[in-house]
Amino acid sequence: MGIGDIWNLIAMQPVMNTLIVLTSYLFNNFGVAIIVLTLAVNGIIFPLTMKQVRASKAMQDLQPKIAELQKKYGKDKEKIAREQMRLFKESGVSPAGCLLPMLVQMPIWIALFQSIMRVLAVIPENLVGLSGFLYSWPIVYTTLPLENHFLWLNLATGDVFLALLVGGTMWVQQKMVMTPATDPSKQSQSTMMLWMMPIMFAWLTMTFPSGLAIFWVTSNIFRIGLQYFIGGWGGLVKSEKKKPVGRDRKYKERIAQVEELPSGGADIVVPSSTQEEGSSDEESGDKRPDSGGGYTRSLRATRRQPRKGRSHRRKRG
Amino acid sequence: MRIRKNTVVIGKVGLLVALLLVGLTVLGCYGTKTSPEGGSGGVVADGTLFLAPSIKQAGGGLGCTPAAVDSKLVALSAADGTRFWEVPLEGSSSGGGFGCTPATTPAAIYGSPAVAGELVYVGGYNGKIYAINASSGAVRWVYPREGSLEPIIGGVIVALDRVYFGCSDGKVYALDAATGDEQWKVTLGDKIWATPAVSGETLYIGCFDKKLYSFNAVNGTKQWEYLAEGAIVSTPLIYNDTVYIGSFDRNFYALDAASGRLKWQFPAEKWFWTKAVAYNGTIYAGCFDGKVYALGAENGQGLAALDLESPIYSWPVLIDGRVIVANSDGRVYAIDTASNQATMLADIEEAVYAPLSAEGGVIYVYSQEQNLYALNADSGANLWNLTIK
Repeated sequence: MGIGDIWNLIAMQPVMNTLIVLTSYLFNNFGVAIIVLTLAVNGIIFPLTMKQVRASKAMQDLQPKIAELQKKYGKDKEKIAREQMRLFKESGVSPAGCLLPMLVQMPIWIALFQSIMRVLAVIPENLVGLSGFLYSWPIVYTTLPLENHFLWLNLATGDVFLALLVGGTMWVQQKMVMTPATDPSKQSQSTMMLWMMPIMFAWLTMTFPSGLAIFWVTSNIFRIGLQYFIGGWGGLVKSEKKKPVGRDRKYKERIAQVEELPSGGADIVVPSSTQEEGSSDEESGDKRPDSGGGYTRSLRATRRQPRKGRSHRRKRG
Repeated sequence: MRIRKNTVVIGKVGLLVALLLVGLTVLGCYGTKTSPEGGSGGVVADGTLFLAPSIKQAGGGLGCTPAAVDSKLVALSAADGTRFWEVPLEGSSSGGGFGCTPATTPAAIYGSPAVAGELVYVGGYNGKIYAINASSGAVRWVYPREGSLEPIIGGVIVALDRVYFGCSDGKVYALDAATGDEQWKVTLGDKIWATPAVSGETLYIGCFDKKLYSFNAVNGTKQWEYLAEGAIVSTPLIYNDTVYIGSFDRNFYALDAASGRLKWQFPAEKWFWTKAVAYNGTIYAGCFDGKVYALGAENGQGLAALDLESPIYSWPVLIDGRVIVANSDGRVYAIDTASNQATMLADIEEAVYAPLSAEGGVIYVYSQEQNLYALNADSGANLWNLTIK
């Protein structure tokens, strides 16, 4: 059994057959089946996605400090790397926190992506090929071939409106997590990515089957919702000071506690970047203390306070 | 200085985005065919073999954009493969050219050509029907004269001076065989990929809407319809006033040809795609489960299930009381209808989807690798083969 066979067995077949069965139960509507499966998969990997979004945010928040290190140690790359690792460790941020969840998610996305391509079966070769992936469930055989039409869309061909929707939602999603960089070249890179990715994806969407575009739009909207839950509108809202939402509020309150504490506590370290750029971040509304790695130690410090006999709880006791 | 820096940034970001997109398209499209490649078989008439190969060109586009496919109709000597003439069949433009979409819809032919009188007829994925002079290769007419239909996957048949075919637009068309003028068309419930069959003045055709239809072949009036549990893409076999057809629901059906009443049905393990053949009261039906089922024509009794080990897409042929069938791995078998035993005749080791054809004790097999084999029907010996390019 080769890698391809194993891949088909553990990823492609389950996803494909689930899509077909879902279509059968959802009034033979393949478009709705794609949306439901995309949401279900997003729901299953939700903890990972959450971890990834938070870790990415924390990494972004550490960028000013990393820039500081680069400035301080110049061309000594070894030293910079060592200091960066120390910074990550101290801040409780793991670079793998961004990558690992993404790596775990990748096979799921690819399986979903390939399944949609195959299940649409617009040419005989694909329909013939599909037969090798089917479970022996009768429902699968009576449902195929799937109906390609959903709303105004032919799911097997590209659609301009959907392409714009993919581009638009991708832009919003990226804009939400984008933080202003201190380095102008990095800022320029971020801006380029912000525009180029959505434009390229929109272009690509026009020539891919719309079924895939539905998958992308649904995923993007899910991520936008998730990011809003974690950090509000983020980079979408520019200058106004935002009212923290949900968990955000709790972290803000904790940070406020930290800032009120006497400076004698050796463990309390408010990252210099936060101090230095506090005003600008407040203005831009981009600093999200809940997920920012820069606050991690501060938050740890607040939790440690009772042991130092300075907490309200200790006082009350 | 600043401009230079910005250029470097744009370059870096552009490269990253391009890599991401290429990676995504390659991974997503891996193992997925995105362009029709065709799978037409040959038809032999008066010593000439007519074949409509689809020639894959080298290379491809960005991402998983497939390599271009050129199609043509070729007339060859059935005796030795000498080429008499060939006619290119143009694709129709469809935009695209990036991602998974080809820039033009190839003519890719799936159904075998049909020969009647002095004309050869063939329909393609590009949504066109061609009538070509069998002697000279000159194009007599093309339908439609302007534009194109939706993809035509099934083959054409010629009867009652008409050309009949089904189309992915869900319509059955009847054209005047001499002029290409439309005689009638009817709309069914879904796409049609099946080749129709005509017996007397009745036309039978299967549809994605899970129905088998019967029409008056002269005027297109519907006579009856039978609802199966799965889509029908195989071609009906009409034998002893009974219509035999397999479905995606894994059942093989026998219906009364006059009324559409179900006589019997036989369950298999996978889809039926190919047309069945009948000999001496027995129906031989190839299935995607790799078996050829020998069934009693009257009652559907399973007489034998011959395991050929890989799915059967290709139409079988009957030669001297033997059923010749090829599996998708390229092994060609002869089934003795007296004993219902299968013997391997040849192994060409290339995928075979195209219908087989035969004449004068020679079997013609066209593989997905674009090779045409002429095999001795008795011994399976390779008489000659050639690559069609």
